[in-house]
Amino acid sequence: MVAEAKEQQPPAARPQIKVEKAVKSFSGRVVVDIDELVLGDQPIEGLIGPNGAGKTTLMRMIMHSTPLDQGTVTLYPSGINGEGIVLSALPTHRMARHGVVKSNQVIMDFDKLTILDSLLLAVAQHKYEQPQRIFDEKRVYDESAARIHEYLEFFAFGDPTQFAGSAGEKKLLDIVRCLLLEPRFLLLDEPTAGLPEELTEKVMQLIRDLAATGTAVVIVEHDLSVIWNLSNEVHFMAEGNVVMRGSPQEIRKNKTVIEKYLGEGHV
Amino acid sequence: MNLDWLDAFLISGLFSVVIIIGLGLLLHLQLGLARIANFGVVGFFGIGMYAFGVMFVKVDWPFSEVWAFFISLAFGTLVAGLSGLLVGWLIADLDEDGVLVGTLGFATAVLILATTEQDLTGGALGLGGLKFPYDIGSVKANEFLWLIIVTTVVALILLYVGRVHRSPYGRLLIAVGANEPLARSLGKPAFRTKLWLFAVGSAGMGLLGALFGVMVRFLDISNLGIDVTLAAMVALVLGGTARVWGAVIGGFLTIGLFEIVVQSYIPFPQGWYGQAIPVVRQMVFGATLIVVLLFRPLGILGDMRRDKLMRSMHGG
Ligand SMILES: Nc1ncnc2c1ncn2[C@@H]1O[C@H](COP(=O)(O)OP(=O)(O)O)[C@@H](O)[C@H]1O
Ligand SMILES: [Mg+2]
Repeated sequence: MVAEAKEQQPPAARPQIKVEKAVKSFSGRVVVDIDELVLGDQPIEGLIGPNGAGKTTLMRMIMHSTPLDQGTVTLYPSGINGEGIVLSALPTHRMARHGVVKSNQVIMDFDKLTILDSLLLAVAQHKYEQPQRIFDEKRVYDESAARIHEYLEFFAFGDPTQFAGSAGEKKLLDIVRCLLLEPRFLLLDEPTAGLPEELTEKVMQLIRDLAATGTAVVIVEHDLSVIWNLSNEVHFMAEGNVVMRGSPQEIRKNKTVIEKYLGEGHV
Repeated sequence: MNLDWLDAFLISGLFSVVIIIGLGLLLHLQLGLARIANFGVVGFFGIGMYAFGVMFVKVDWPFSEVWAFFISLAFGTLVAGLSGLLVGWLIADLDEDGVLVGTLGFATAVLILATTEQDLTGGALGLGGLKFPYDIGSVKANEFLWLIIVTTVVALILLYVGRVHRSPYGRLLIAVGANEPLARSLGKPAFRTKLWLFAVGSAGMGLLGALFGVMVRFLDISNLGIDVTLAAMVALVLGGTARVWGAVIGGFLTIGLFEIVVQSYIPFPQGWYGQAIPVVRQMVFGATLIVVLLFRPLGILGDMRRDKLMRSMHGG
């Protein structure tokens, strides 16, 4: 009964994020200065631009893991015409609860925690992580073991009770942690950098599957074949602002983009 | 009960060992897992001791002494927990230096308060009138029973710490200690986590302080010195900061060796006991801390072994 009722509902609209009058500077140098930017019009959007353009900083501003000098970031969980949640007024740890999740460009890991630990941490609900809850490990594990092992097998991880060894393994772990949070708006900062080709393929496949189920994805990637392959729309960022947006084909053809960033060889 | 075989020295020596182990275990949750170096252990210990003592001695209780005892004990624990909440709130966002200054400053403030609030605490003269919540005969028998009770409490703390390692809560503490920004981005409220860790740890330290006060039956500001913090820290660091049993092993090897073996069996000149021995002890502990940190920073037991633990819980 319940399942039937669910199936008949139209799929929930994709969430969108609006960045308004957002400025960020480091020691007096303006790094991001965006008047207005809406993300999430399309299921998968690429964000490209030269090194130092401010892509990572913009993503960190959205997560509020770096404070904004001014401006606001608003999440519209069911599209831009619905109600908004001002993300820039919330602390970082509240983002995950609203489905806003980001992977990291530089490798981030918990030393001392094993692969399995790291994934169980991601899935554990807050109510199980209280000082008085000291008998809930099995419950947390049983609730999520199937999902966790699905990912572990998909990426052919080694023994999950071991520590993540290579940089690639840590990078993948970061992505899997993000996916386990069941994101509704996923920001990926160079997710496939340093990964071998077959793993890049697998990550791309997961991103496509996720987008197909209504999650909005924004991806920064230096490997432009990933961008042309995945994105429905591309934002081109330079000197702290999105200066151009369009379909992958349009952006690829554009003279400015080619001169400033891509060079003839990439196209 | 015939307790002739039991030396009063041994009881008080063992009691010190047990108290320091208890404090070391609570410190382990903060320092070993969440990597917050709390240098104010004695402050929470002292606040629990004095809140309990003042409540028990100064209030004109309308009901039996046993009730008064347990209400005062709960009060001491609660006050220490609340002070932990306050200190935690002050330091949770500070860097290591800030935490050091903040916690050390708190312990100093407790000592100053206990000294200056003479009407309540007796100041430098001390506060008498504490007693055991029972009387089973000789002083020695009462003290021995109290040793057993407090050992049980500390064993329960050990059990709790062991469970924390095997629970999602322990994993959260380790994660917050290892990489706080990453933990936050995974939705973990790092600030609140540290706050409650401090509240719970401090309540436990306060309880131990009150239990200690009962044993000595006379509250004296000399019990509020930095040497308590130092002893708990040396015990933990020597045994293994990140390990459940670190404080236990370290406690026996430091306080245990010093208080029981050295003091009882090495024939120091009689005159040394009052003045010289505590100073020697402090110097030995300080030196131990330095040597351990230089040559075996993870202590005798070494580093946390999450891989082993995960295999035992979820492997196969
Ligand atoms: N924490 C920081 N402190 C100082 N400067 C920073 C910091 N983070 C980024 N920057 C500077 O901001 C600019 C944009 O960086 P970033 O957002 O990482 O660019 P992108 O991801 O597009 O390569 C760079 O010039 C970088 O040096
Ligand atoms: Mg970047």
